[in-house]
Amino acid sequence: MNKSPIRFDNTTWPVPGKFHGGIKPEEYKSISNQTEIQKLNPPESLLIPIRQSIGNPGKIVVKVGDEIIQGQLLVDNTDTSGANVHAPASGIVKQISSVKLGHLSGLPETSILIHCNNHSEQKNGDSSSGTVTEFRFELLDWLSAPPEVLLARVQQAGIVGLGGATFPTHIKLSKKLDQLIVNAMECEPYITCDDRMLRELAAQVVAGAQITAKTLNAELIIFAIEDNKSEAIASLQKEILTNNAPTKMQIYVAPTKYPSGGEKQLIELIHNIQLPHNKLPASQGMVIQNVATVHAIFKAVQQGKPLTSRLVTVTGNQVSRPGNYWIPFGTSVEFIIKKLCINNTDENSRSVIMGGPLMGQKVSNLKMVITKKSNCLIINDNKNEKNWLTESTSHQQCIRCSECEKVCPAQLLPQQLYWFSQSEQWDKLQAQGLKDCIECGACAYVCPSKIPLVHYYRFAKSSIQQKQLNQNKSDKAKSRFEFREMRIARQKQERKMKHQKAAENRKMASKDLSDDPAGKQNAINEALARVKQKKNHLSNQNAPGKEE
Amino acid sequence: MALSSPFFHQSLSTQQIMLITCLALIPGALAQSYFFGYGVLINLCLCITYAISAEALVLLLRKRKIKQVVSDNSALLTGVLLGLALPQTLPFWMSFIGVWFAIIIAKQLYGGLGLNPFNPAMTGYILLLISFPVEMTAWLPARTIASHFPDFTETLQLIFFEKTAEGMTIEYFRLITDGFTMATPLDYIKTEFTQSKMRSEILSNQYLTDNIYAWTVINSCYLLGGIFLLLRKIIRPHIPLSVLSSLFITSFILYQFDSEATNAPLFHLFSGATMLGVWFIATDPVTAATTPRGRIIYGLCIGFLVIIIRTYGGYPDAIAFSILLLNLAAPTLDHYTRPVIYGHQKEEQANE
Repeated sequence: MNKSPIRFDNTTWPVPGKFHGGIKPEEYKSISNQTEIQKLNPPESLLIPIRQSIGNPGKIVVKVGDEIIQGQLLVDNTDTSGANVHAPASGIVKQISSVKLGHLSGLPETSILIHCNNHSEQKNGDSSSGTVTEFRFELLDWLSAPPEVLLARVQQAGIVGLGGATFPTHIKLSKKLDQLIVNAMECEPYITCDDRMLRELAAQVVAGAQITAKTLNAELIIFAIEDNKSEAIASLQKEILTNNAPTKMQIYVAPTKYPSGGEKQLIELIHNIQLPHNKLPASQGMVIQNVATVHAIFKAVQQGKPLTSRLVTVTGNQVSRPGNYWIPFGTSVEFIIKKLCINNTDENSRSVIMGGPLMGQKVSNLKMVITKKSNCLIINDNKNEKNWLTESTSHQQCIRCSECEKVCPAQLLPQQLYWFSQSEQWDKLQAQGLKDCIECGACAYVCPSKIPLVHYYRFAKSSIQQKQLNQNKSDKAKSRFEFREMRIARQKQERKMKHQKAAENRKMASKDLSDDPAGKQNAINEALARVKQKKNHLSNQNAPGKEE
Repeated sequence: MALSSPFFHQSLSTQQIMLITCLALIPGALAQSYFFGYGVLINLCLCITYAISAEALVLLLRKRKIKQVVSDNSALLTGVLLGLALPQTLPFWMSFIGVWFAIIIAKQLYGGLGLNPFNPAMTGYILLLISFPVEMTAWLPARTIASHFPDFTETLQLIFFEKTAEGMTIEYFRLITDGFTMATPLDYIKTEFTQSKMRSEILSNQYLTDNIYAWTVINSCYLLGGIFLLLRKIIRPHIPLSVLSSLFITSFILYQFDSEATNAPLFHLFSGATMLGVWFIATDPVTAATTPRGRIIYGLCIGFLVIIIRTYGGYPDAIAFSILLLNLAAPTLDHYTRPVIYGHQKEEQANE
């Protein structure tokens, strides 16, 4: 806390909290936060995965050969739990197919291939050349618009959590909550897109936060930021002091410590409470949104723009112009490397990571594209980087030093989890709280034996999930089988009952007749009477016929 | 690059941790060899050689990468600790048995580094102590009070042939200037107590106080090394501080009870293997408890047991026994002292 540069009482959140554990890795942020935000024009073709958020994939509303304009809806998710996807550039839909893009799941994803009209290779990306080249929503006056309209706009614009979680924002905003926390912690090394956005676009971010607060009916907005971003804090502070917005705003300056940007850790920092393990922040009357997300909300409402590009930090020692770029979704890593990297490096020594170095994902296929979750791209030559783990790094035995326990923000015992996941004791793992692990990687960062702990946890988590799926399946099969058995037994029983009843009835009938002579005589008499009556009837009917 | 995140790593490696721990033992080892002669250094060299050869042999049999595993320096550390714990002129074949037992039985048979439930060095030490009680308690008196202090050649002869060229055995060198044999202070005082002598009476022996002084200096040097480890964040304070405070409190209570028949708290802290054990052996992460609360209980129990055994037990020093006993309890301690996981507080309270 002592490092925080400026503190005004009326703009500063007063509660200094802390969370257990955490690490202080070297930041490497100055590589990319020194230059102004730039724009990267779309390449010749964009490959848009149709599922870019948590939730189900939506309905594709374009077909191959369609001419589309920038901002046009490609994937409609109105009826599903996902988020809409729009065209990042004008062009022609060339192909809709399943493509393997090297995502973590390893599964191919349905993607739309667009050939762009005004791509960067043509050098005439002038959008104001007379014809309409961009679709925009009708502008809203957010001060007078009702919250439902704003919420609908967030949904239409396909906004998702841009911090990396890609949870559809409209679902998070559909409740009435007191407090909006804007997460600008950006605690992972290398990443600076939120930092730069606040430095340059603080007014828009503040407006976006105000719109979000109105949608939520919130009374307070807290901007949470780490104390290593003094310029961003100053810029935000200035904006808050001059802005005449309806919702009260405060800044919470947190000490720099990874993973302070994690939702649970952030709540512990700001409110000094721990979010119950089975609850969402909404249960405490608050919602957390990333800076980039509230900015996207601003653009959707004030500029009518759907979410088609995002600010991406492109950094690393192989980038000739490191910085933050607006990159349209669907742009391949290959294109970015071609545009921004030193070209004469050997590709084998280059490693590319999407996301940060602690929670990101290795890019094994350069065809992988920027999506709504890609906040950072690190292109490094790792040969001389002491902090980076290389493929040849072999790990040693765990010496139970419990450094991992010291840094775990979830207060788990990582070495015990490692022990149990090695021996595949899934029940014990669950008892040790494996599912409370947020996979922040702090444990593996400090492990002196360089054990890839998080890798083990992911494996254990997916194994447990698989086991549960199988369990559910077999439970279902078992209950189906049991039901079938029961049904057969019941039918048998029913048949038996029916037969029994019929037999009884027959028996009863015959018994009646045989046991009671009077009854028998009666029955005979009755039958005779019936025959007689029938005869009479017949003769009556025939008589008129004869007359005719 | 690693398979999955994190790709970033920064901390001391296991090799470095082991190596720095060995380096932190240097001041204590130097002090010990100053007071007890070349035997300490010869023992160190022997034990290190034995330890690494034993480790390499097992790795060869287990078809592991010898160089990679030996370079984790854990065998080195076991060798160093045993070398410092053994009497200076212990016959070479006894230290061989101790070290090979430590590395092969107590460590590698359990699966190697990280999987051994007992501290290898202490297991080896106790094997020797129980098997060869006479040799294992045959400590030389400090250089300052010895009547015949062995030189380098004599020490070598004692270690390899059990007598010098002149036919002198260890007993000859254990004599002090007044013609009596001097054991370690803990041993000596314990024997005197059993003969119902008063503490003040025992301590009036000038030779004893000189010997105590030597042990105090040695312990202080180990304390310095331990503080160095603490400052370098190689070890965490839970275990050493809880052992020391428990040692002090337990002995203080006993001392208050009968100050003439028990040792003073400070004497306990600075005699025998106390500081070596507290800072370098009890803190062995592999065999200690791992949770913060577990470590405190672990340390408190060790301190308590040390004083109880020293005061009422049959052995003068009890560091090795206490640590091994608590090694046994470490998994249970870990099980019952798990920290409360984030977001589970209310449940815990509700359960209580």
